[in-house]
Amino acid sequence: MKPFSLARPRDFAGAGKLAKDRRFRLPVIKAGGMDVVDHLKEGLIEPDLLIDVLRIDDQPEIREADGAFHIHANATLANIAASRSIARRAPVVAQCCASAATPQVRNVATAAGNLLQRPRCWYYRNSQFDCLKKGGHRCFAFDGENAYHAIFGDGPCHIVHPSNLAIGLSVCNASVRLTGSDRDAVSLADLFHMPDRGLLSEHNLKTGEVVTEIHFEPRSTSAFYAIKHKQSFDWPLVAAAAALELDGDRIESATVTAGAVAPVPWALPHVGEALVGVSLDDDTALRRACATSTRDARPMSDNEYKVRLLPVAIRRAILKAAGREVMS
Amino acid sequence: MADRTMPSRSPLPNRPMNDGIAMSDDANRLDGVAKVTGSAKYGRDVMPKNGVFVSFIRCPWGHAQARSIDEEAASAVAGVLEVEITGREGRYHGEPIGHIAAESLAALRRARSALNIEWDPEDADTEIGSPEASHDDDPDGADHVLEAVYTTPVQTHSSLETHGTSIDHMGDRAIIYASTQGTFSAREGMDRVLGMPQSRFKVVCEFVGGGFGSKLNGAGKEGLTAGRIAAKYGRPAWLFCDRAEEHLDTGNRPSSRTHVRIGYRDDGTIVGGSVRTWGGVGVAGGGGGVVMPSNRYDLGRIRKQHADVRFNGGGPRAFRAPGHPQGAFAEELMIDEVATATGRDPLELRMKLDREDERRSMYELGARLIGWKRRQPTGTQASVLRRGFGIGSTSWNRFPARADAEVVIHPDASVEVRTGSQDIGTGQRTAMAIVVARQLGVPLDVVHVSIGDSSLPAGPASGGSVTATNTSLAMLEAADNLKETFLERIAAQLGVVAGALKIREGDIMQDDRRMMTWQEACAALGSAVSGRGSRSRRSDRQYSGSGHSMGVQFVDLEVDSETGVIHLNRIVAIQSCGRVICRKTAESQIIGGVIQGLSFALFEDKLLDRNTGAMVNPNLEFYRIAGPADMPKIEPVLWEGNQTGIRPLGEPPTIPTAGAIACAVFNAVGSPVRDLPLRPDRVLDAIEGGRS
Repeated sequence: MKPFSLARPRDFAGAGKLAKDRRFRLPVIKAGGMDVVDHLKEGLIEPDLLIDVLRIDDQPEIREADGAFHIHANATLANIAASRSIARRAPVVAQCCASAATPQVRNVATAAGNLLQRPRCWYYRNSQFDCLKKGGHRCFAFDGENAYHAIFGDGPCHIVHPSNLAIGLSVCNASVRLTGSDRDAVSLADLFHMPDRGLLSEHNLKTGEVVTEIHFEPRSTSAFYAIKHKQSFDWPLVAAAAALELDGDRIESATVTAGAVAPVPWALPHVGEALVGVSLDDDTALRRACATSTRDARPMSDNEYKVRLLPVAIRRAILKAAGREVMS
Repeated sequence: MADRTMPSRSPLPNRPMNDGIAMSDDANRLDGVAKVTGSAKYGRDVMPKNGVFVSFIRCPWGHAQARSIDEEAASAVAGVLEVEITGREGRYHGEPIGHIAAESLAALRRARSALNIEWDPEDADTEIGSPEASHDDDPDGADHVLEAVYTTPVQTHSSLETHGTSIDHMGDRAIIYASTQGTFSAREGMDRVLGMPQSRFKVVCEFVGGGFGSKLNGAGKEGLTAGRIAAKYGRPAWLFCDRAEEHLDTGNRPSSRTHVRIGYRDDGTIVGGSVRTWGGVGVAGGGGGVVMPSNRYDLGRIRKQHADVRFNGGGPRAFRAPGHPQGAFAEELMIDEVATATGRDPLELRMKLDREDERRSMYELGARLIGWKRRQPTGTQASVLRRGFGIGSTSWNRFPARADAEVVIHPDASVEVRTGSQDIGTGQRTAMAIVVARQLGVPLDVVHVSIGDSSLPAGPASGGSVTATNTSLAMLEAADNLKETFLERIAAQLGVVAGALKIREGDIMQDDRRMMTWQEACAALGSAVSGRGSRSRRSDRQYSGSGHSMGVQFVDLEVDSETGVIHLNRIVAIQSCGRVICRKTAESQIIGGVIQGLSFALFEDKLLDRNTGAMVNPNLEFYRIAGPADMPKIEPVLWEGNQTGIRPLGEPPTIPTAGAIACAVFNAVGSPVRDLPLRPDRVLDAIEGGRS
């Protein structure tokens, strides 16, 4: 590890200024440190300036205003998961935070850090593989060990998006508030891009832009469901978030996003459309609608099982959102 | 769901045994607090002042030649003492091709990167593949033949304290802080590299952060390299693996492939057949043996052939019951496949096939505790969540090993137990204190254990479950000899005959009268008294007797048939180990064995990239090990039966777990999953009719 300077700006605007300070070759913003420290240890980045924003607490972690939730960038996953108001009015968000990693991690990991963490691809995370994300010429997963990689998207890089929180937020019309540039906010859908729009980062933030808050709307009939191989400290094999509007047992509208299947939170608007009018009591129709989720799936050698898991995760997220028994 | 009302413990009275051995039901692990608070110092924690840090230069690919290495640039890095390249070819990811010595860990890292090695990768074989089996004709007398292939992956030991050695070199003498399972064997070769006679150095290993067989390799390349550097510079030296190196180059449980072609009758009787096994040994010359069939079941006449298969991976080392868990996985699942094909209950079939009457009694108890009667016939469930029950069995022989012991009573009334052999986390320290306290007749809290030091009385390396079984005999004899000497000296002071005195809870008693307290008696000694003992045929006869350990395990689980995810409800582990010395540490051994077995069954897999041969998961994030939320309720049952003596316990509890889980999954979903780990995709394949 090379020596670096450490800055502790008083506010996010200060952090943004430092992030585009030309005196530094590679300024890196660190909050909880979960991901940045991993990168330092593996030798994936060698910053000359580390901008520690963890102590910035200019707002309460969680507040409600104008009928929406406002989450401070530094709110911990544990506190979001523990918020009674979020659990009641946007259960999908509380659940995706509660499902992440371990209690130890959730107590430290921050909301913005979770959204902006880098992918967990084992080739990307290993400094000896000069993969596309590191400026190399090859995706090693494509014809290699790709059991945990994407089934959607045309590459050239086949990562899956790592943030559970992003999956949950994506069904709550979420956006992030920014400082450091001429725009104030960007919608969650516009925060991330596919690999064909750039390989070296996964988000659309400009240098100097810093996330200060996350906004999202309540979705009282919503849920997150993750299928995990291991129940302690594991990444989902497949995850799904669903937000519904119900008329009795009939779905009036549905928003569905899948996780761990694509390089970005994978919105499935056609599944939402297929669900309209479906009665929760008509399991055949429900399953048929969920099955449309895999329409465009293009699995690789070792991840075809995700195609089988995805409709299961979506159906369970829908049933869970409606307060129904999931494993029936 | 799980029945929480079942008793998890068989009655086990705290009383002296007819063979002279007593036990403790309530003693806590003596070093438990030190371990959880961090005050216990492991070899890795010892960083002597003015030390030299050493690390290996390793091949990053499955097979590669180093075309160019900038030794000059690395040597020129500030703080670097030396760079030595010993070879240019790496035959597996992690193979050392040289080392660097430097003044700091940071300088080591800078030098490694300055080497700027250009590798020419070559083709690498990453697994044992599917070797062809030539099987003999079908066995005589069979109504049916089962032909099946069972495979298990490479499992790494994943010791929390990585492999390595810290050497405090003090000119004409040295202390070697090794992370080892053999305090005495870790001296091997050290005299040569240190240039010192064995009388001038000693190995100290008070705590070991996991070894499971992988730290039975003498001084190891880590120790010998650190020793050479220490001698060369006349300074302390420190060489420990990092987490990736620990996965790559410190041994493993080799992968296995078991191809059976076995004949059976309509009534489930197995009449024999052929078993061909292969072990994936990486670049090593051997060590891939698969214990299949075991000696536990009557399977008729089995023709067994084994071959080791080489590929571009690190070689195996002993791993908790080497060859057994992978063999038991194949054997147990094969028996359940025969049971299902013949419409028999697997419990009933095992009662018929098992060679041991005592284990039959264990099956009966286990079936009751797990609720076997709730088991539904294999392949009959159609619900989303499908319940499964499975069984596995285990046995382990008692092996003799050389062990000496010394016990000292000091005038300040403390008792010192001296044994050079190590406590690798088994509870050996606690067990020896209990043995001595009970045999002398003093309270446990006056006993202190000096352990893991080659200047103390010699004991065995901890492999094969031999440490407690052999050291305890030496300890009992030492305690008896000490008691005799001690009581003679006290009797002389009191003017009575020694034979008239007894020690009870530390008090010196004549008949029922207290003659002296422990403190008074020890103070009256004036100087320390000691007694020695050895494990010998004589002490074996006097204190133990023959006999092996055995056990059975029962699993209750649920399979989510839509996701393939397995949820373990309960595992009942019935295990004999003769007389139990310390209940808590004995139960902990059983629970630990079960955990390692279930993690092997469900998760662990050292995965080499098919194209480059590099391990893609050399960390504890992608190399999955069972965590707290994956734990079933594990119920250890210490089986007393009619067993006497102290019998082995370290290895047997990890043997049957994976097989029992695989049987339970088969019971739940109706098709066997014949490949470990039991990943969701494989379980789904089995459910959807295909074979995994």
